Amino acid sequence: MTDRRQWLRRNQATLLAYAMAIALFLVTSAFAHGFATWNHTRVLLVQACFIGIVGLGQTFVILGGGVDLSVPWMLNATATLLTLWCHGQAANLVWVLPVLLAMAVIVGLVNGLGVTLLGVSPIIMTLGVNGVLQGALLLITNGGQSPTAPHAIQQLATGNVAGIPIALLVWAAVALIAWLLLSKMSLGRQLYATGTNARVAYLSGVRVGRVTVLSYVISALASALAGVLLAGYVGEAYLGMGDVYLFSSVAAVVIGGASILGGRGHYVGTVAGALILTLLAALLPILNLNPAALQVVYGFAILLTVGLASLRLGGT
Amino acid sequence: MSAALALARGRLSLVTALPFVLLAVLVVLDVSLQPALLSRDQIGIEVATAMSLVLVGLGQTVVILTRGIDLSVGGMMSLTNCLLATRVGSGTGSLLLWCAIILLVGIAGGAVNGLLIGLTRLQPFVVTLATWSIFNGVALWILPSPGGHVPNALISLPLGDWAGIPRMLWILAAVCVLWSLLRRTRTGVQVYAFGSDPDAAFLSGVSTLGVTLRVYAFSGLCAALAGIFVATQTASGSPTVGAPFILNAVAAVVIGGTSLFGGRGGFAGTVAGAFVLTLIAEVTFGLGINSNWGVFAQGLLLILAVAVNTGSELVQRRREERR
Repeated sequence: MTDRRQWLRRNQATLLAYAMAIALFLVTSAFAHGFATWNHTRVLLVQACFIGIVGLGQTFVILGGGVDLSVPWMLNATATLLTLWCHGQAANLVWVLPVLLAMAVIVGLVNGLGVTLLGVSPIIMTLGVNGVLQGALLLITNGGQSPTAPHAIQQLATGNVAGIPIALLVWAAVALIAWLLLSKMSLGRQLYATGTNARVAYLSGVRVGRVTVLSYVISALASALAGVLLAGYVGEAYLGMGDVYLFSSVAAVVIGGASILGGRGHYVGTVAGALILTLLAALLPILNLNPAALQVVYGFAILLTVGLASLRLGGT
Repeated sequence: MSAALALARGRLSLVTALPFVLLAVLVVLDVSLQPALLSRDQIGIEVATAMSLVLVGLGQTVVILTRGIDLSVGGMMSLTNCLLATRVGSGTGSLLLWCAIILLVGIAGGAVNGLLIGLTRLQPFVVTLATWSIFNGVALWILPSPGGHVPNALISLPLGDWAGIPRMLWILAAVCVLWSLLRRTRTGVQVYAFGSDPDAAFLSGVSTLGVTLRVYAFSGLCAALAGIFVATQTASGSPTVGAPFILNAVAAVVIGGTSLFGGRGGFAGTVAGAFVLTLIAEVTFGLGINSNWGVFAQGLLLILAVAVNTGSELVQRRREERR
């Protein structure tokens, strides 16, 4: 009995997030005709998967006590280079995907090593890397338009298997990996320890530097995957396509109950955060609100959840 | 003891001199590439190009002096720029009225940041990340795509000269004088004290909330000023005009030698940093290479400057600990 109560208390924020997601879905369905059909729900879930996947990386970084502001142009660079290098030919994916993968690892390493080796604050390090990526991408594309995404990638983002969107299966697969890493592997425990108190973790034998670097690599990889999927979903890449994911990924993580200070939270919560944000986005047209309101909603979502969390903790 | 102090001073003077050395190198490089730049009109134009960044940088300097960071300046710049381009009518009265309203919007937006950070003790980056998103959204709401109208009176503001000296140099001088006056005020002293050691400052009667509120409100005001000024350069409004200034304002402050650990540095370095960043873009133009190298170099320069800044700070701390 006390076990269950403890479990409830520990996962209070996550459970609250899921309850809110379900409530939002039910309330909206009651007012909007055709909202609760499987066809529409499927579309919503696919839309949620982009925030969900970028949020996966952001979860790892925030759990470790950092934050990744280089998400927008990491996503954008992957999407743009994918379409640019493939020229619409799926055969080119054979070399393009490994190159993009390697790029993501390098960007993650640069972020992580800058934070751990040079001691630069995560905010400023990742902000700088974001700028470098933007500059590099502008150099490569010269600000021009890139070709459409290869058919195979479009299929990956919009196709279905047995009525279930492939993008959703991809999300489920990476979510499973994230859950395994956080809950079943030593990496997860080391990450929580690092985020809670890096010094204590270091003194207890956690390789703090390595864990931190790894979290940034995971974040870059997640943004890259989201970039590939988004290029396929939209059918093309454009400059600025990643910008809102900075806000939405951080919002999803904090709505999911993770502490912005690190050390507390789980990807399970971020998934609920991604669902809530997607439902809020779907609500805007129903309420006849300007699409620009979405960014306002993201901002208030971050402020509200972080503010409430700090009140609960007594102002830390 | 005195040797260590001298060493510490040596480090300080190295970090403080760096932006000016960089600036001198870039000026020489730029002028040798484009000798026409040395004319009186051109100098005015150069200063005007850097001015928006100088203004945002002024606010960011004060925020970073208190160990904070203001990511919302980009959103505030876009928001105020869109207000200007959509609301101002034809007359001078309307322009002045709306400029006053816009500056108040800047102060109010910044004060919200300051209140949230000061009252809830939330981290500055997460609060200003959220308000950045909100300000961006409101800017898009006001003006969904670039356009609007900027009155001619404003566009011609940076052109021409007063008493034979480019008007922009007067404006720059005025901003620098304003800083040196502000620095000597009670709040100015408190900002430095708070940044050096928040606990000690609190114990000697500095109100944390008071300083935080004023610092972020000031940053909002500076961003609003930049939002107005940038319209003189673009001659139109844009909901994304502020985006590049977030990175560049932080970069200008850090290149300028203001410590990210608070309490040390100032506006003079930031002005140099802002001109360094502006001139990098100019030099790529002068070299005839793709101007996007400028964007690339700006990001790289920030990382390098931060590494130098943080590295020298850590070395100095280790030295002090050893004593």
